[in-house]
Parts: sequence; structure tokens; C-alpha cells
Amino acid sequence: MNKTTEKVRQTLAKRYRSEKRFRAFGIASITLGLLALVILFTDIIGKGHSAFIEHRVTLEVSFDADVLQISDVNDADQVTYGNYIAAIRAAMSEQFPEVQNRSERKQLNGLISSSAEFELRDMLRADHSLLGQSRTVSLQLDDAADLFFKASPGKRDGVRVTDLQKSWLLTLEERDLVTSGFNQSLFTRGDSREPEQAGMLGAILGSLFTMMVTLVLSFPIGVAAAIYLEEFAPKNKFTDFIEVNINNLAAVPSIIFGLLGVSIFIGLFGMPRSIPLVGGIVLTLMTLPTIIISSRAAIKAVPPSIRQAAMGLGASNMQVVLHHVLPLALPGMLTGAIIGMAQALGETAPLLMIGMVAFIVELPAGPVDPATVLPVQIFLWAGSPEQAFVALTSAAIMVLLAFLITMNTIAVLLRKRLERRW
Amino acid sequence: MDIAQPLDKIPASSSEPAAGKAINVKEGVDQDTPVPAKPVGNPFVDDPKMKLRDVEVFYGDEQAIHGISLDIGKNEVLSMIGPSGCGKSTFLRCLNRMNDTIDICRVKGSLHLEDQDLYDPKLDVVELRARVGMVFQKPNPFPKSIYDNVAYGPRIHGLANRRSDLDEIVETSLQKAGLWKEVKDRLHSPGTGLSGGQQQRLCIARTIAVSPEVILMDEPCSALDPIATAKIEELIAELSENFTIAIVTHSMQQAARVSNRTAYFHLGKLVEVNDTEKVFTNPDHKLTEAYITGRFG
Amino acid sequence: MDNLNLDQHISRQFNADLEELKTQLLEMGGLVEQQIIDAVTAITSADSDLAEKVLVVEDEVDNREVTLDENCTMVLARRQPAASDLRMVLAVAKINRDLERMGDEAQKVAKMAIHLNEHGEAPRGYVELRHIGSLVHQMVIMALDSFARFDVDLAVKVAHEDKKVDQEYKSAMRELATYMMEDPRSISRVLNIIWSLRALERIGDHAANIAEHVIYLVKGLDVRHISVKEMERQVNESD
Repeated sequence: MNKTTEKVRQTLAKRYRSEKRFRAFGIASITLGLLALVILFTDIIGKGHSAFIEHRVTLEVSFDADVLQISDVNDADQVTYGNYIAAIRAAMSEQFPEVQNRSERKQLNGLISSSAEFELRDMLRADHSLLGQSRTVSLQLDDAADLFFKASPGKRDGVRVTDLQKSWLLTLEERDLVTSGFNQSLFTRGDSREPEQAGMLGAILGSLFTMMVTLVLSFPIGVAAAIYLEEFAPKNKFTDFIEVNINNLAAVPSIIFGLLGVSIFIGLFGMPRSIPLVGGIVLTLMTLPTIIISSRAAIKAVPPSIRQAAMGLGASNMQVVLHHVLPLALPGMLTGAIIGMAQALGETAPLLMIGMVAFIVELPAGPVDPATVLPVQIFLWAGSPEQAFVALTSAAIMVLLAFLITMNTIAVLLRKRLERRW
Repeated sequence: MDIAQPLDKIPASSSEPAAGKAINVKEGVDQDTPVPAKPVGNPFVDDPKMKLRDVEVFYGDEQAIHGISLDIGKNEVLSMIGPSGCGKSTFLRCLNRMNDTIDICRVKGSLHLEDQDLYDPKLDVVELRARVGMVFQKPNPFPKSIYDNVAYGPRIHGLANRRSDLDEIVETSLQKAGLWKEVKDRLHSPGTGLSGGQQQRLCIARTIAVSPEVILMDEPCSALDPIATAKIEELIAELSENFTIAIVTHSMQQAARVSNRTAYFHLGKLVEVNDTEKVFTNPDHKLTEAYITGRFG
Repeated sequence: MDNLNLDQHISRQFNADLEELKTQLLEMGGLVEQQIIDAVTAITSADSDLAEKVLVVEDEVDNREVTLDENCTMVLARRQPAASDLRMVLAVAKINRDLERMGDEAQKVAKMAIHLNEHGEAPRGYVELRHIGSLVHQMVIMALDSFARFDVDLAVKVAHEDKKVDQEYKSAMRELATYMMEDPRSISRVLNIIWSLRALERIGDHAANIAEHVIYLVKGLDVRHISVKEMERQVNESD
């Protein structure tokens, strides 16, 4: 054995040990990250899954003209202002005739959601012949009652219902009148103070409109700026200055953009508050640096040989860019744009500044209607006192995450698809 | 025996190894050997396609090319050789103004393609590049189909009005580049899917589709294997019937094989231009000699 | 520009290859030179043993010729020499051939020596033989030296010498022809001398060829088939 081999053997074990140690560190950090992710998801899903389910009680409701105080069913006003609550109360007393006490009656009626009367009204509106007949209707339960049924039997004590209400709910359950199903209102309604009626459609639409505005503004502007800076701008101090500033802008806290939005768009231009248009513009300012930087990187990544080849054939600068650079850089640009969009989608701070935090029940019909966005909705619900909002908050987070994951997946797919072509 | 005497007296000196020492007596050639003020050999020809006089190129304050005067004859293959950094590629790139893309690059001197001044401010560089095509070191087909690669030049210059005209241009260009047989069944598959040698021939087809008068080649085979190189060299010989070709190469054997005349560049200056045979058997300047025989490089 | 800088390649192995060619050629030249001296001495001093030695050495020369040729081919194939290196290899190959022929001629003279020793000495011609032998030997030495030193001037001198040898050869012929007329009985033996002289004259021609190859090697000039004057003019012009 010569000297080198001897020395190598001596150090070999040490080298392998340090290699193993390094690998162990790597695995440990990845495991830690995965663990955090698993905990986060378990927590969110564990808390939020129940928000997708709602409980209803099936009652025999009689659409009695006297009770409803409707004399002419064709009169729209009378149908609208009919006393449907009385009909519901009647149906409930039918189930529990022993309840006579006024305060007990109040507790009993509190089991049914305040939205139940609107469900009855909509039924009557759809079918006038219902007047005077009785129907078996499944009515939405109040959030407390809903939570009572969602909770496992052992944990039902924690739900804020009185003992009387508890016994009635158990009775209803025994009579097989309680059904559970998918919580449609979550995706069909706007926000509400009542958890069982609160939906996130308003926030989803608000987010969509905001994103639309952001995409329409930031992508063309960002790409155009990137192309100009990379391909046409002369290299001088001024362009250097611009470049430095773009990079700085990417690091500016987003709330500053919110302040800018308030003072410029709302203060100076007099645009209304709380609308997705302003939100979109503010988020555009925020995502522009990201898009410009990623687009420039994509343009830089286009091999210079392609540029030279086109120029060698006599293509003008513009032709080189349009025919060769842009198509090759597009996947990278799109990826950058989608990542920027995803960032904007999760952004809250600047939107709070421009008033998109308002409590808005109406669904927005366009980018100039007041609206809120998903992350702000999460923020709002997280601050609400009712117990049922905890589940709703987690549900909204799940929906937001689903959107983000979808967008990132689209970014990956888009890039793969565009790149696979050549 | 007295007559035999002189025979014996003469030593058998020729077998003495001491004779070999004579080689070292004079000092050798190295990078510092002075470059002649005027190139040796015959830099000018009777019927020049390109006439280049006192060309100087600067990168910022640094001078890369020092007053080079040279003719490129009609339908000849001129090869430019020299050690790295000798300015041969820079010089080549002046001939279709590819240096324009480098901001700090300035070109002085008189460069003419026939009667056209290449650096005339009124001349559109697009027009020039249609007349002087270029093939690059690395095969660089566009990430488009084979057909679109060849058709690109004619399309942007509006050389073909109808689809059938374009088809014809593409076919003849590919045929001239010796690629037609290999790709005619897959014209619409991507050009980047071809082998390296095929890609380079595709690039040549793309260049000749514009029908340039001069083709500049910047180390066209440096990224190719010997077989592909042989095919390109064969192609260069065929193309020289119709085109004037200037080729920069690092392979001296290649210069020897393909060119009619060879120019040797050294430190931004032109040292020698001569017929290729002359350069490779008996160059006039010792720097050329030192380079092509591998004394330095 | 007599300096070929054979030892200045980036590739040291290439230096060594070329140096090896040169050394082998000069060694072979030494053998052939000795053959010539021995062959002439074998006749003049009627030494058959010496003549036999020449014949033995001839085999060695033949072998060396083949080896050197192979080595030239090897360098051509592996190094693709250009310019002076190319001329060097080509010159070595050509000189190699000339040397081998010289060896053949020396062998002929040696055979004549053996023949003369068996059939009695020739009455005349020994002086001429010695004289021309000495001249030719000088030429061979000069030719080999001009190669060893890449000395063009010396090579041109060889060409001059060749002319001198030719003249000496002609006058020797005339003289020997007179002898033969005077004494017809000696014809066959004198003829042996004439053939030997003829062989020596051929050796001189080969030496001149070597000189021409040296000029090609050093100057890149092809000076074959032209007069010595023209050769001198071209050589001087190329300086």
C-alpha cells in the first residue's frame, strides 16, 4: 500500500461521516418543513371541513293565507311582506305543543335560521298555488343548532344552546327530522352577520374582478417595459437608475402601495372606495416589478445565438423581438405573471387601505361595484365573535389555497406545454 | 596508399549528433516577434467582391484590429486563421456589420461590397445582411420547423409572394445545402431535432435561401464531429461555385482543405495572405509558419 | 531564415519525433558514407574483406531505409505536419531514398572490388578512382552536413561539386578508353573500373539530389531540373 492510499483510507471514514451528517441535516430540514405543512393543513381542514356541511330540519309548513296575511297571491308586495315567520312558528309549535311559555317559545323559534322565512317566500313566489296548502319543507337551522349537530355527541356540551333547546334538538333528531347536506349558501351568497347564512361568493367574485384588472393592466405593461429595457433602451445612467428602482420597488412593503392607492386614486382622482378597479390598480403597481423582473430574466434567457441568427439574416430589431425573442420568452413571462398574480391574490394589506375591508352583503356585478376579496374575507371572519365563523374562516382559507394551487399548477402546465412545442 | 589518405582523413562528421545543435543557434519565434507593417503575400486580387482597406476596430478605447487591408475575390473561399484573440472573428463580423450590436464597438476604414460602402450611413443594414449572409459557430436553428427556418429569410425580405414560390426556395436551398434528402419527409418537424451537423447545414440552407452574394462563416464546424465537418467542408466547396465565402476557422487542416486563399491574423494585424498551398507548404512569414506548425497558438 | 525551430513545438513529442527522424537519417548517412569509403578502399588496396563488409552493411542500410520510411509515415499520419515540418518530413523521406540508392551504388563498387581481386588487378584507373572517390565522398559529407545544419550555401556548393565530378568522370572515361585501345587484354578489368567510376558518379548525383532536398526543406524552393546558376539565383533571391 503506498502512502497516498494509506492517507486516503484514513480520511475516508471522516469524509463519509461528514457526508452522512450533511445528508441527515438536509432530510431533517425537509421533514420539518413537511411537518409544518401537514400540521397547517390538518388544522385548517380539521376546522374548516364542517363549514361545507349544513343541517336542516324538515317540518310540515302550512301556507295558510291568514297566517301569512296574504289576501291576493298575485300581489307581489303582499307575497314579499307576508308573515312567513308565523308559519314557521306554527310548524315548530306543532312539533312541540307543550311549549307555551313566552321565553321558551322564543328559545324554540331561535332554533330556526332567520333565513328560513326567505326560503318560504321564494317557494311561494315560484309557485302561487301553494297558498292554502301545506308542504314538507326542509328549513335551515340556526348556527348554534347547526353546530350542535356537527359536534360529536361527547362535545355537544360546549355548544352555546340552552338545556331546553338541547332537549328539543335531540327530540327532533329522534323524530328523524334533521337532515345534513352540502352547505350551498357558502358558495352562493355574500357575507352575512349570521354564520349559517354567510357565503364567500362575494369575496370570490371580488377577487376575480380584482385579478382581472390586475392581469389586464400588469401583464402588457410589465412585458412591454421588460422588452423595452432589455432590447431597445440605450445603456446609460438613466436606464441603470430605472433598473435599480424597479428592483427596489419589488422590495417595497405592500401596504405602502395601499397608501399610494388611497392618496392618488381615491384622494386625487376621486375614485370610489372599496371597488375591485382601484384594488386591481394598486395590486398592478405591486406586481409590476415582479413581472418586469421575471420577464427580463426570460428575455435574457433567450440564447443570443437565436438573436444573431435572425439578425444575420437581415431581420430588423423589431422583427427579432417579435418573431424570436418574445415567443421563446413567453413561457417564462407567463410563469412570472401567474406567480405575480398569485402573490396579488393573497394580498390583504393594500386592499385594507383602500377600503375593501367593508362589510358587503351584495354580490358585486363588476369591477366598479363595492366588493371584498378572499384574504380580506378571511381576515373579517377571523375577527367575528360567533363560534361558527371559526369553521368558515378555515373553509375560506381552503378555498383561497385551492385557488393559489390551481394558479401555480396552471403556471407549471403552461410553461411545460409551451416549452414542449420545441 | 598515399592517394587514399584524404579519404581517411575526412571524418564521418555527418553522423555526429553535434550537428543537431545547429537548430538552436538562432533564437525562436514567439508572441513578441514583430508583425510586419504590411502583410506579406498577395492580399489583393484582380476581381474583388469585397474591398477592405485600412480597417480598424475599437472596443471602447481598446483597438482590436489595426489597419487591415484585404480583398475577397469573387467566388473564392478565403479562410482566416490565427490564434485566439487575433481579431479574425471581429474582422469577419465587420463584413456584415454584426458588430453594430455591440455598443462600444467602432469600425473605421473603407469597406466595400462591390461599389457599396458597407458603413455608408444611408445604407440599411437589413439590406446589407441580405447580401452578406452569416453562418455561426454553434448551429443555431430557430426553434421552429425546418421549413420555417429556411423560409424565414425569404419571408421577412418578401422574396416570395406565393406559397409555391416559397416552397421552391425552401426546396432548392435545402438541396444546395445537401439536406433535402434527409429532411424532405419531415419539413414540418422542429429544426432543433436534427443532429448537430444537420442543424449546421440547415443554418447554411437558411442563409442561402436569401441568395446572398457573400457568405461569412464563423468557425462553422467547431461544434461538429469529423463526419459532419467533412460534409460541411464538401458543401463549402460546392457553394463556392455560386457564392463568395469567407471562413474563420481554428482548424488549420480545415483552412487547408477548403480555402483558395488563407489570411493569417496575429494580434489584430494581418501578417500574411497567400494561396492556401503556399501558406501550408512554405509560408512567407515566420509568424505564419510558427502558427501553422504549432510552435505557438 | 535558416532556422527551422524544430524544437519549438508546443507538443514536445512532436519535437522528439522530428528530431528522431533527423537523427535516424544522419546515422544512416554515416553508414552510407562509410560504405563509400570502404568500397573505394577495397578496390584501391585490393581488400576483399573490406568489400564483404560493405555488402553486409548494405543489409543494415536497407533495413534502416524501411524503418525511416515507416517513421515518416507515422509522423505524417499522426501530426499532419504543415509548412517547414511538412517539408522536413518530405525531405527526410526523399533523402532516405537517395541514401539507400547511394548504398546500392557503393555495393556495386564493392562487388567490382571482389571481382577484381579474383581476376587480377586492373592495370590502370586506380588514381582516377581514388580521386573521384574522394571528391564524391566530400560531396556526400557536405550534403549530409548541409542537411544537419540546414545550410543552404553548403547545399549549393554540393551542386557545384557535382559538376566538377561530372567533368572528372568524363576525362577519366576518355583516359580509360585510351588504355583499353592500347591494351585490349585489359578491357574486362578496366571495364570493372569504369563501372565503379560510373557508380561513384551516380553517388555524386544522389548527393546533389540531397542538396536539392535540403534547399527545398529550408527555402521551400523546388530547384530540381534547373541549372546550378539558376539554382543560385533563386536561393539568393529568396533571402
